[in-house]
Amino acid sequence: MSRRLTHTLGSLGQEILLVVVILALFAFVGVYNPRFLSENNLTSIFVGNAYIAVAAIGMSLVIISGNIDVSIGALIGVLAVISGLLVTNGYPIWVAWLAPLVVGAAINAVVGCLIAYARVPSIIATLAMLSILSGGLITFTGGQWISGLPAGYQLAQFRLLNVPSPVWFMIGMTILAGFLMRYTTFGRSVYAVGSNPEAARASGISYKATVVKVFAIHGAIGGVAAVLFATQLQVIQSTTPVGLELVIITASVVGGVSILGGVGTVFGSTLAAILFAAIGSSLIFLNVSAYWLRAVQGILILATVLADMARRRRTG
Amino acid sequence: MTAMTRILIRHEFILGILFVIVLFAMASQNDRFLTTANLLNQARLMTEVGLIAIPMTFVIVTGGIDLSVGSILGLCAILLGVFWQNLGLPLPAAIGLSLAAGTAAGFANGLIVTRFRVPPLIATLATLALYRGLAEGISQARSVRGYPDWFAVLGRGDFLGIPTQLWLFALVAAVGIFVLRFTTFGRTTYAIGNNEAAAEFSGLPVVRTKLLIYTASGFISALAAIVFVSRVSTTRSDMGSGIELEVITAVVLGGTSIFGGRGMVIGTLIGLCLMQILQNGLSLSGVRGDGTTVVIGAVLIVAVLISNLLSRFSSD
Amino acid sequence: MTPILELKNITKAFGPVKVLTGVNFDLRPGEVHALMGENGAGKSTMIRIAAGDHRAEEGEIRLDGDVRRFAGPREAQAEGIIVVHQELLLFPALSVAENVFLGHQPKTAAGLVDWGRMRREARDLLDRLDCPNLDVDQKVSRLSVADRQRVEIARALSRNARVLIMDEPTAALAEADVKRLLEVVRRLRSEGVAIVYVSHRMNEIFEIADRVTVLRDGVSVGTKPIAEVTEASLVSMMVGRDIHQLFPKEDIPRGEKRLELRSVSLAGVVEDISFDLHAGEILGIAGLVGSGRTELAQTIFGVTPATSGEILIDGKPQKIASVREAIDAGIAYVPEDRGTHGIIRAQPLRENVSMAILDRLTKFSVVDTGREQSLASDAIKRFSIRARDARQRVGQLSGGNQQKVVLAKWLATDPKILILDEPTRGVDVGAKTEIHRLMGDLAKKGLAILMISSELPEVLGMSDRVLVMREGRLSAIVDRKDASPAAVGAAMMQGRREPARAGAAR
Repeated sequence: MSRRLTHTLGSLGQEILLVVVILALFAFVGVYNPRFLSENNLTSIFVGNAYIAVAAIGMSLVIISGNIDVSIGALIGVLAVISGLLVTNGYPIWVAWLAPLVVGAAINAVVGCLIAYARVPSIIATLAMLSILSGGLITFTGGQWISGLPAGYQLAQFRLLNVPSPVWFMIGMTILAGFLMRYTTFGRSVYAVGSNPEAARASGISYKATVVKVFAIHGAIGGVAAVLFATQLQVIQSTTPVGLELVIITASVVGGVSILGGVGTVFGSTLAAILFAAIGSSLIFLNVSAYWLRAVQGILILATVLADMARRRRTG
Repeated sequence: MTAMTRILIRHEFILGILFVIVLFAMASQNDRFLTTANLLNQARLMTEVGLIAIPMTFVIVTGGIDLSVGSILGLCAILLGVFWQNLGLPLPAAIGLSLAAGTAAGFANGLIVTRFRVPPLIATLATLALYRGLAEGISQARSVRGYPDWFAVLGRGDFLGIPTQLWLFALVAAVGIFVLRFTTFGRTTYAIGNNEAAAEFSGLPVVRTKLLIYTASGFISALAAIVFVSRVSTTRSDMGSGIELEVITAVVLGGTSIFGGRGMVIGTLIGLCLMQILQNGLSLSGVRGDGTTVVIGAVLIVAVLISNLLSRFSSD
Repeated sequence: MTPILELKNITKAFGPVKVLTGVNFDLRPGEVHALMGENGAGKSTMIRIAAGDHRAEEGEIRLDGDVRRFAGPREAQAEGIIVVHQELLLFPALSVAENVFLGHQPKTAAGLVDWGRMRREARDLLDRLDCPNLDVDQKVSRLSVADRQRVEIARALSRNARVLIMDEPTAALAEADVKRLLEVVRRLRSEGVAIVYVSHRMNEIFEIADRVTVLRDGVSVGTKPIAEVTEASLVSMMVGRDIHQLFPKEDIPRGEKRLELRSVSLAGVVEDISFDLHAGEILGIAGLVGSGRTELAQTIFGVTPATSGEILIDGKPQKIASVREAIDAGIAYVPEDRGTHGIIRAQPLRENVSMAILDRLTKFSVVDTGREQSLASDAIKRFSIRARDARQRVGQLSGGNQQKVVLAKWLATDPKILILDEPTRGVDVGAKTEIHRLMGDLAKKGLAILMISSELPEVLGMSDRVLVMREGRLSAIVDRKDASPAAVGAAMMQGRREPARAGAAR
């Protein structure tokens, strides 16, 4: 085995581990209850959770750059409602699909500016955004669901080659983001800024511009996730999914993105999102109450973080 | 008076003036606002957030953060109900055990932060998920009602014409002011926030102090849970979700630097009152409850911006 | 010949502190120009100005004879002025190849990062630096210090450095690595690169430099061809006075044995150290950066408790597992890194001075601010600290006064044993003399003093005995009468072996 391959495998440790865990989980639950592996269930696992995987890609960028975003759940809720309102008010479907991307990028660019230029820590800026977005959403919609969506709008219900479109989006966006992070100077500067901001500055990389771009891209990706979320059912809930931001952050961190910045890939976060979806589904098939799902997620994120710290201390 | 406190006093002075202006603005808007009954009722509603804000001031002064307070509140509320109704313990014993559980949860936070050196933001984000998950799992979405009448005195009764919990809050606040302002423990708290390494090199008990502060944060969150349950005489697993945002906003609004090292409990109290009358005034003038969270988010960002600006003026 | 880089009449101040005054410096293509001076003489500031990191208030920078103003490091880099920083600004989580090229990666026609070419070019650069064993795909976090430095130099070369500024490049290197580094420097010189070489080490300077410029207290004392100077003349240029004139060391009778170490070790860092320290004695510790001096001090002080061996205080074995226990045992430590470990900049002088004895200033754990205030006022008088009052924040004081605050803080603990780690680093000449005089007074009062210093003149001038460390071990203890620069220097360097390279086994 060549040295380069060893390094590549070494740096993909978390991803390989995740693949193994996912396969083991499917095998274990499948043996316990074969209906778990039915096409119907597999489809619902992927289709119902692809938007989380997509959003986790953007979150990974944010965490690699050394920041965090706890407002993404609320943002997805707001963007989904915007999309739904546009289409039910007679705007063309393509406008309803694209507007969330643009609005998401714009909102998060503002957040990025607060962080980069006004030195508001990302946790504070995004906590405040969480409050503004979720409060604003309920005030604006009064909690009413949006229904009467036109048939051609249901993007998440489309299929291509008999594979549901959310799965295509999940795979396509992961590959696209993976490519962006590996092969563009922007992608590399995200790693640089997260790894050592001082050295990044000495290399002529602008911390501020990089952070603003990262948040804008994260917002646009959140827009894609919002469209998938909005179009998967016949109605759009006008409240933000409770705790969604935590699921997304957990997916990134469990996927191998280091909480201290500078390390990780987007492939890991997608795998971790799949793992969570599978765990959530398997609880039902193992006759465990779904109310324990969040506790399981909490344990997973805590274990991953502790392992990450232990590994860092070992390798220095 | 030190140069540092001079600046803080200035911040508090500005805040105090702001408070008076808002008070008059609200009073002129609505004649139901400036009545003893309304103000006492507002104070009652403010108590849970207020209680948690006292140890949170300590946490933020050390340069840390505790996002899990809302989840600890929820977990302890659920445990109170479970101990009392499902396990059939006498209510005082259930209260004691619930307080112990909250203390243990805070201690666990402290251990993860000090022993495993996980950044507080990530550590408490993980336990936020974990504790809320435990609350959901244990309660299975069932609520507990029918608490005895004597228990309601704490949350809904009066003592000497003042809401009962306000006495408790006054006691905790007084202890907080005293400890942070006058004791070696308070000095150590500031020293950690300003330069943790120098504090360690001066032989100050850095680890023990941080551990105690996070533990106190857990204990007071449990105390807030008891008050909360008594006030609404029911327990639900989603109690206190999002309360961390209000708490942090009050603390930061009160002049405590989110980067640590600066802040006073008095400031937190003013910040708290300002937030509460803002909310109350808005809802009296017809803004719905969720609309006020938008205002809180906006106020948080403005507060941090102002505090950043002030610290730039006073930096050497 | 036109100099490639010329600094003329440069003046720079940080707040009230003037760091450089009318400094002149010129660099010719294909020369190694050594820059020398004591700590705090202004070398780092001068380098930063040349690299576009700081802007001078007065004076001009000429590049190839043209006056230039650099708005930031990026502009200077574009002109080929590259600094190899002492603290090595690298990205530990990224690969060697990427570290070399970050910020200016080779790209394909489509504008994407060309990893293949990046790895090949990194390989070529590392071969040019004679490190064929350094793997371009290895993560930098796994490299040894010497290898990290090679990566940093390769990065400079990848930017087509015409002017290479090396800030104490050998400070943390073992002898074999130093030899290889000097080889690289020679090779770059022969390729026409102009090199500014900052170092404390005389033998390197004489081996590699063509000319030498000495800075003292922010003023350039002179520039001379290397053939026209000797070690002694360089020292007197740097110090400005004769050593014995500078350090009025009094003879103080040696008192009782205060501190004794019996084969104390800190696993992997400090090994098998035994010595004793007496009341009234100043014991100097000399050694290169990385020789374990600071680590030894912090082991005695309980920051990193010893993993084996015995520490005796006044003849009795004493367990020191924490800083608190060390303070209670009568040990005080004035740390090397004042900003990080010594002071709390944002807090007032009063609270800094009382920090180590807070528990003694309290009643029922309430701080007695009255006693604290009088402690601080006394300290201001006794150490003539130039501060507005006890309420002034320490961050606003000058380096020398900050150091006096740290000294006051530790003397307030009423120690029997005082460890001073680089007591005069970053301190102006006036305060330096005051601190030296204070050390003499303290020794006269019966304090046992352990002093670590990188400045050989200081060690030789102040110490009764000199303890020399090398690679975590004690290499010699030299008496004052035998302590010459040559003898101590030899003990510091002699027989250095290359340490096992981290990650080589992987």
